[in-house]
Amino acid sequence: MTPKNNLLIGIIIALLVVASYNINASPIDFVKGLPNLAIVVDEMTHVEPKLFVTAFWSIFETIQMAFIGTVVGVAISLPLSICAARNLNSKYVYVPVRAILAAVRTFPSILWAILFVIMVGLGPFAGVLAIIMYTVGFITKLQYESIETIDSDPMDAVKSIGVSKLQLIRYVVLPESAPHLLSQMLYMFDYNVRQTSILGLVGAGGIGFYIINYIKFFEYGNAAVFMIVVLITVLIIDWISVKIRDKYIVKSQYGMNVKIK
Amino acid sequence: MSKPHVSLISTKKIVQMNNVFTSYDSKNYILKGISLSIDRGTNYVVVGQSGSGKSTLLKLMNGMMTSSKGTIKIEYQTPNIHNKKFKSMMHKIGYIPQNLGLIKNNTVLENTLIGALPRLGKIQSLFKIFPEEEILEAKKILKQVGLEGKESRKVYMLSGGEKRRVAIARAFMQKPTLLLADEIVSELDHVTAREILDLITNAQKTMNLTAVMVHHDMKLALEYANRVAVIKDGEKILEIGVDGDEIIDFQTGNLTSKEIMEMYSDDTKK
Repeated sequence: MTPKNNLLIGIIIALLVVASYNINASPIDFVKGLPNLAIVVDEMTHVEPKLFVTAFWSIFETIQMAFIGTVVGVAISLPLSICAARNLNSKYVYVPVRAILAAVRTFPSILWAILFVIMVGLGPFAGVLAIIMYTVGFITKLQYESIETIDSDPMDAVKSIGVSKLQLIRYVVLPESAPHLLSQMLYMFDYNVRQTSILGLVGAGGIGFYIINYIKFFEYGNAAVFMIVVLITVLIIDWISVKIRDKYIVKSQYGMNVKIK
Repeated sequence: MSKPHVSLISTKKIVQMNNVFTSYDSKNYILKGISLSIDRGTNYVVVGQSGSGKSTLLKLMNGMMTSSKGTIKIEYQTPNIHNKKFKSMMHKIGYIPQNLGLIKNNTVLENTLIGALPRLGKIQSLFKIFPEEEILEAKKILKQVGLEGKESRKVYMLSGGEKRRVAIARAFMQKPTLLLADEIVSELDHVTAREILDLITNAQKTMNLTAVMVHHDMKLALEYANRVAVIKDGEKILEIGVDGDEIIDFQTGNLTSKEIMEMYSDDTKK
């Protein structure tokens, strides 16, 4: 540890204290509030088993929303990310594309959902549109970053054959960045399932609609049913993506099977 | 000895470099006044330590880099990606970079077919539709380089020697007149290295192919090449013409042959 580092840590701690004071974040209030949490948790144990049927149907709707949103979003992201990659385009192409993407990313998905509820009315379709917008903003950024880090060796080797730009993209850029794209898609699907639970807040469909309504009427037990279903679903999706990742991504990156203990 | 015989082949120059200087920045030159000419159909080897500028020399020949000073002519054209005449003949120049530049998630056959891309139309290449005769040609070449039965293997599953064979197959698929190979046998054991160099020299006979290769093993270079140029710190310090086991021509720069052989003694000792 150099004195310079110590000073830096000191400054960060000081800033933490000042910021906490400014926003009234007090650990005492947190401890005082714990009994309230206990009440909620206790309420949550009074689950209504009959509701599980509704919960499963609504999570099914949520998954379908996330699926459409992810697939369509990624399909839109792919050409956009190729346009935004600095190693494939002149700055007259990638600068405007990046500016538009930055604007898209400025809105969180909940704001997109409000916008689309106004546009197409309440229901899952507004949610799907919001997910698409969010996915495009997010995946395009990740994808152009991974295109920019493609190994220059295959690019040079294939470029030197005298191929067209279209061929270069089709035969080098896409296959070389495919494992990254798959990995990002899996993450995005997982994320979209979880965020669809929030989109229900503004009436954009999905399981979140139920959760928020039960919480509004202090029916924590009923809300818990839906939360448990979300938890189970997310765990299953996580398990499936680990399997897919092992099969297609880890192997192609390292040229072997990785045994995870 | 399986190398092509110089006197049987036309002596028309395929590569000519005259007093070439290159630099990445304006201060330090990588190549300092290189002049060389390469006869059609021969095997020309450039030897030098890492950082001597030998990879740069190859990149100048296929237009991936441009020179700061001096002239370079490949088939009487200046290699530059913006030169239309040169661009139209780039498909005739096979290039194997040091790390081979294979698409590791793709199969052996897919990688080989990349060599046929300049002959493919827009729609066909977008949907990866290769004509039957191109696929047959690719399979024939894969058999020639010793990868028969491994066409559908993914490249990342192959051994180092096999990967080099795929890169050679991709270059052969271009039906090249000039083959540029950067350290294609370094890091290989001597048996595999000889197999790979035999493969290239045999193909040279049937395809009338000129090979420009970069090695760092002087012994292998002398065994396979018609001419060997030694590069040190961006300058050509020596050029040797070889015929069979005899040295027929010897042009020194500013080093004696003994000094040069000492420089590469680590590679030649086994």
